[in-house]
Amino acid sequence: MRRRALDLVPLAVVVAASAVGVLLSSEPAGRLDPARAWCSPSGGRPLGCGEAGVDLGPLVASAELRAVALATVVALIGFAIGTPLGAAAALARGRFERAVDRACDLVQAFPSFILALAVLSAVRAPSRMHIGAVFALTAWAPFARLALAHGRVLRDAAFVEAALALGRGRLAVVVRHVLPNLLGVVAVQLGSTGAAIVVSEAALAFVGLGPRDGVSLGGVLDQGVAAMLRAPHVLCVGAAAVMATSTAMLVAGRAAEGKRAG
Amino acid sequence: MARAAESLLVVVLLASLVFFALRLLPGDPARLVLGDDASPAELARVRASLHLDEPLLAQYGRFLRGLATLDLGDSLRRPGTSAMASVGVALVPTAELAVVAVVLGAIAGVAAAVLASGPWLRPGARRWVERGLVGTAATPLLAFAPVVTWAVAARARLVPLPGDPDAGAAGLLFASVLLALPLAAHVGRIAVASLADVARAPFLAVATAKGARPLRVWVVHALPAVAGPVVTVVATQLGALLGGAVVLERMFERRGLGTLILEAYATRDLPVLEGAVVAAGLLFVAAQGLGTAAHVAIDPRTRAGP
Repeated sequence: MRRRALDLVPLAVVVAASAVGVLLSSEPAGRLDPARAWCSPSGGRPLGCGEAGVDLGPLVASAELRAVALATVVALIGFAIGTPLGAAAALARGRFERAVDRACDLVQAFPSFILALAVLSAVRAPSRMHIGAVFALTAWAPFARLALAHGRVLRDAAFVEAALALGRGRLAVVVRHVLPNLLGVVAVQLGSTGAAIVVSEAALAFVGLGPRDGVSLGGVLDQGVAAMLRAPHVLCVGAAAVMATSTAMLVAGRAAEGKRAG
Repeated sequence: MARAAESLLVVVLLASLVFFALRLLPGDPARLVLGDDASPAELARVRASLHLDEPLLAQYGRFLRGLATLDLGDSLRRPGTSAMASVGVALVPTAELAVVAVVLGAIAGVAAAVLASGPWLRPGARRWVERGLVGTAATPLLAFAPVVTWAVAARARLVPLPGDPDAGAAGLLFASVLLALPLAAHVGRIAVASLADVARAPFLAVATAKGARPLRVWVVHALPAVAGPVVTVVATQLGALLGGAVVLERMFERRGLGTLILEAYATRDLPVLEGAVVAAGLLFVAAQGLGTAAHVAIDPRTRAGP
């Protein structure tokens, strides 16, 4: 129980620090003031300024909160789709099981970043919702794969065989008996999927396909790379924010692992 | 053969997903290409060149035929140039980057695994090598590549700066090293686990008893036994490698598949975008096939029975 709580601490710190940064900021994230362009960190602006004088403090705080929210929603969607799919495939066996297994392998290994670029070109200016929808296209696969692997063990368990022998339908067995026993195992994946989405969203913004409001960790990194000789602090702030947010999501996923072990 | 067919089916499904997304999502693709100020005549020309004035099923049939013959039409940005030809040209520098990264990543990962598994290091030092592999695998390329580039290129001036037109082989090597690091970590972790499995195998004890030195025991005798999983990891990491290549090409302003995709995105060059997804998919299928074939050739136990 105590370890579970500790695993959530990094994410809580990132979210709390970002929320405080947004609340205490005297200006909206992304406000431009060319007079202070690329200014170094100081007491008034602890993270310094970026291109066109944007204050990195509120920008990074806002971007972190939005990245965590997007990653959480998409990971939960992937969890909600992938877990029942994998469980149903394990119980169905045969062709359906093989098709889901193979689809998971391929979707996980396919260059999904390139797929996201291509699909996002269908909209003029991608919003965070568009980006989330594209990530959700492939986010179900790791959950389905885990549910399938664990479902293969559960389908031979005595209580599942007993439920089937008593005439329960396969759907009812999946919902009432298999899924509740899978959730603890599969929920561990929420953290790594969330971390991957934080990084992918930042990568899309880094290559110029970020959300139209411009508030993204990848956007900060992009500014930092462009001005690495003049203002290296921008680069370091962007990299540290991506690292901290993705690591916090990754570690938070272990809270579910603790629950299973405990 | 069945696996190859399944893989090709997935490429067709993903290419179809891109096809339908570009045509069914709200908005006129012709307006996406030309912008809101385009004249009706220009819009009609683009609709005709993309066959948008045909029924959707007819467009899809044409798309599938194009997919089968690898002819997805001409690039909208460069009329007269086939979209797949543009993709083919852009693939060369990306393939250079990816191949050098795969070679470096595989060598570094295997070397770290042999170091962590053999008798050369104390247990504490071995654990640090393993922790280093886990830490590197968990660190996003996007977070460490810009910082390392700043430290090595901008501060220490050991390699050319991003965007330097004269970067040449040094620039390629540096970008490949950055791309290779996550791959090396994944390879190293799998190789450490696999080497731990074979560490107490009788054939290693026999080799040691016959007087073979530790380096020979681990490199000549143990490594071939774990080559299968290593090859499989390299093949399955290709997707991440291509994604990383897009980011690094943007960062170092190198020409390649990533730059082409970003240019095609900016100008909504739909045939090139579809071609890029198909090319990435085919590369992925080829890598998976080669990986499986190499695994079977190395370890006959993985061959499917009669």
